[in-house]
Amino acid sequence: MSKEIVCRPLAETFSWLRMGGTEVTLPDGRRELACRLTPHENRTVVLEDAEEAALVTADLAEGACLQLVSIRREGAAPLTYSRIRVRCAERAEFHWYRLVLGGQETYDDCVVTLEGKNSAFTADIGYRLQGEDSYDANCEAIHLGRRTDSRITASGVLSDRARKLLRGTIDFRRGCAGSAGKETEDVLLMDETVRNQSIPVILCAEEDVAGDHGATIGQPDEESLYYMGTRGVDEAAARTMLAEARVDAVICRIPDADLREALMKETEA
Amino acid sequence: MGTELLRAEDLYVSAEDREILHGVSLRIGRGETHVIMGPNGAGKSTLAGALMGDPSYEVTGGRIFFEGEELQDLSASERARRGLFLSFQNPVEVPGISLENFIRSALEQRTGKKIRIWEFRKQVRKVLETLQMDQSYAERDLNVGFSGGEKKKAEILQMLLLGPALAILDETDSGLDVDAVRTVSQGIREFQKDKSASLLVITHNAAILNSLEVDAVHILADGRIVASGGRELIPAVEEEGFARFEDPQREEAGA
Amino acid sequence: MKQDKTYVEDVNRAFYDFRYEDGDSYKVESGLTREIIEQISREKNDPDWMREFRLRSLEIFHAMKMPVWGPSVEGLDMDNIVTYVRPNTERMHTKWEDVPQNIKDTFERLGIPQSERESLAGVGAQYDSELVYHNVRKEVAEQGVVYTDLESAMRGEYADMIRSHFMKLVPPTDHKFAALHGAVWSGGSFVYVPPGASVEIPLQSYFRLNAAGAGQFEHTLIIVDKGAHLHFIEGCSAPKYNVANLHAGCVELYVGEDASLRYSTIENWSKNMYNLNTKRARVEKGGRIEWVSGSFGSHVSYLYPMSILAGEGAQCEFTGVTFAGEGQDLDTGCKIVHGAPDTTSHVNTRSISKSGGVSTFRSAVVVTEKAAGSKSSVSCQSLMLDDISRSDTIPAMDVRTGRADIGHEARIGRISDEAVFYLMSRGLSEEDARALIVSGFAENVSKELPLEYAVEMNNLIRIEMKGAIG
Repeated sequence: MSKEIVCRPLAETFSWLRMGGTEVTLPDGRRELACRLTPHENRTVVLEDAEEAALVTADLAEGACLQLVSIRREGAAPLTYSRIRVRCAERAEFHWYRLVLGGQETYDDCVVTLEGKNSAFTADIGYRLQGEDSYDANCEAIHLGRRTDSRITASGVLSDRARKLLRGTIDFRRGCAGSAGKETEDVLLMDETVRNQSIPVILCAEEDVAGDHGATIGQPDEESLYYMGTRGVDEAAARTMLAEARVDAVICRIPDADLREALMKETEA
Repeated sequence: MGTELLRAEDLYVSAEDREILHGVSLRIGRGETHVIMGPNGAGKSTLAGALMGDPSYEVTGGRIFFEGEELQDLSASERARRGLFLSFQNPVEVPGISLENFIRSALEQRTGKKIRIWEFRKQVRKVLETLQMDQSYAERDLNVGFSGGEKKKAEILQMLLLGPALAILDETDSGLDVDAVRTVSQGIREFQKDKSASLLVITHNAAILNSLEVDAVHILADGRIVASGGRELIPAVEEEGFARFEDPQREEAGA
Repeated sequence: MKQDKTYVEDVNRAFYDFRYEDGDSYKVESGLTREIIEQISREKNDPDWMREFRLRSLEIFHAMKMPVWGPSVEGLDMDNIVTYVRPNTERMHTKWEDVPQNIKDTFERLGIPQSERESLAGVGAQYDSELVYHNVRKEVAEQGVVYTDLESAMRGEYADMIRSHFMKLVPPTDHKFAALHGAVWSGGSFVYVPPGASVEIPLQSYFRLNAAGAGQFEHTLIIVDKGAHLHFIEGCSAPKYNVANLHAGCVELYVGEDASLRYSTIENWSKNMYNLNTKRARVEKGGRIEWVSGSFGSHVSYLYPMSILAGEGAQCEFTGVTFAGEGQDLDTGCKIVHGAPDTTSHVNTRSISKSGGVSTFRSAVVVTEKAAGSKSSVSCQSLMLDDISRSDTIPAMDVRTGRADIGHEARIGRISDEAVFYLMSRGLSEEDARALIVSGFAENVSKELPLEYAVEMNNLIRIEMKGAIG
């Protein structure tokens, strides 16, 4: 048993908010996954959260592409932790698809370094939390190379007393001219008792970059509910549809068709 | 005249504590197409919203009956399930729900029966073709990133697939180019083929009416219906505008 | 604006950098001890509670740690800072003619009396630690509006009101520099606007630090009672010395039920200033606070005006611009606590980084369990003018109720070449084109300021932009 501060972001916020890293007692077991992708290799890895802490390191050579689909299911373990460290060489791409479908405590810490020029990183995070579920995540894109691209998209639903904390960081280092980073977050709050925390950070030490962030956090909006109502979908059904849409949006982006269909079926049930 | 489908009696409607409609009455029979014309700010969209049960409008007086049942306490979805439809001027974008899945869910909710995906998909394809929309729209998120014209077409698409008893089209022609107006009209005519289907077309532009069968035209100005008649009112508006219909008292004072 | 290129390097702050030999009558020893605090208290003729308050604050100051999350304050050696400097004037003056000539010259150059004559309801000017000049227009005074220095108010008819509000919003335990402020505070303004009174023209105060290695610790306490309205403007500047200066002021604003207060600041401290200022407002039911904030000066800034929306339907609007040039590390932003139902907040900020300057936008929006039905929107945009500067955006949102509607957007980028080209095609030089674009970028703030301040702000931007192209 070791206590560790996990999900510590690159930038600290005000100390009184206590959002700069969380101290967690991690399980003893370690499951390590180290991948080294050769030039232009294309690989898909599916990772199911389990008892042990998952430590993923990936080194992507020129033009390689890694797709990591990691899934957290309700009953897997009370606490799961995954740490992902990826380095991208020239034109390499890393795509992370993250589904959190429940679970008492889930911690993610993903740092991607875009070293080579024209390398890219996308993160699609979808979560559906209820009861006492909590999800605490840190996701960083470090832009070193020229013309590198990152996109972090998170969408999720919180019900009951669920709690979520997302720290997303786009870090433009000096020399990454021509790079772009975009982070969007969309959180649907279904009950009064939920709690949502977000720190969307953009760090910038380069002139020729474009950084963007947008977040909307709120209840299902009246306008959508009314619109759906005019088509005969009542409020309860509309709320359910809007909630499912958040996770479905992530599943839809998974490139592997079989996995996509299977997950669609699973989440519908 | 067909048997009565919708009857609005002396409607007073407010939005944000300001009264917009000051006593509007309307009767639409089954299979009829009525047109409401009027200048900007006359209260046309307010009327559409009040009929559909938009919570941002408050009906402060009067009553609405649909198939003999009073609508007052019914939500928008309950009205929709009874056969009302509203095509929005600017429909909201709903990310994460595809157009096709949305319409299918709406139909399933209305009928309480499961709809077979493949059969429904065929139906959607056909309507997309009629409206000259790319097949990919079925998969795209509801209205997300659609252009103004695509949004209007997507509304007509929903109307055709949901098959309401009365469709209210709120400025469905506004902001469309000539070709798009023609395509949309085509869709509306398709809807009119069902002889029992009724339409309430709200517009301030006569172009969309050229190819439609019209049973009655009402001029709405300053929250009141100031004139009702047949098709002949359309060229009158086209030639002289709405001025002659507006507030006769003001006209007298000016004369 | 003179277009003299030859002294670009030196002139850019000359307007603010003039100074006079400090013929100070009195300075306390460097370093902070109990004795010094007692001495300050005696000099000020503090009431007993205030003396106790200062001593308690000193203990807290010694017990607290420096902040660990912001820009470095290593250059600040507290032991070598003369914490209290009193210029050569005996007491407050109510006529401009009575202010000593050298101080008068300083303020004349800054245009203080002129602006009073022109459009401002009242002016208080603080020179180093003492308030030297104070006046309120007659018609404002007739409405029962009180605008005076805090120290004399503490002994007058508002003594109880001050005692029950002083450092209640910003307690000395808030952070180390709030504790320092509580121990050594000196000068500042007290404004009371009685119920229903409405001050149409802005009240103004001006702070100027003239002595080297000095600290300025003014305290501003404003109470806007039920249904009353006020616009208050503060301006700050200081000449340049080689020694670090410290500004640890404190602003406490109480906005009553259905009252409104606009608090505007143009801060142009010299670039050796550590600006560790704390500003906070509490807004009751139906009340409204509006912050307009321009940060241009200082070497290091920690500045996050906080709004506590304590009553139902309370509102906050924050509009800010920060311009960090060479040698500057400006960490600015705001904090908003939605503490009651149906409260709303709007934040709109711009930051500009140039010539190695660092600007950080840091914010916190907290929507508590009690704030169902609240709405917040935050928009921050940053402009990078070269590749040796830095611009960070660190916004935090903590939503503890499901019935809230929160929106946030941030954007960072550079001046578009197309825009520069477009303006140049209409005959502007590249330098002017860029300056114009930056002024336009900061328009969110300048359009909220009274004209003479907007002009001053645009001048500051022009000065900063001059020589921007090598």
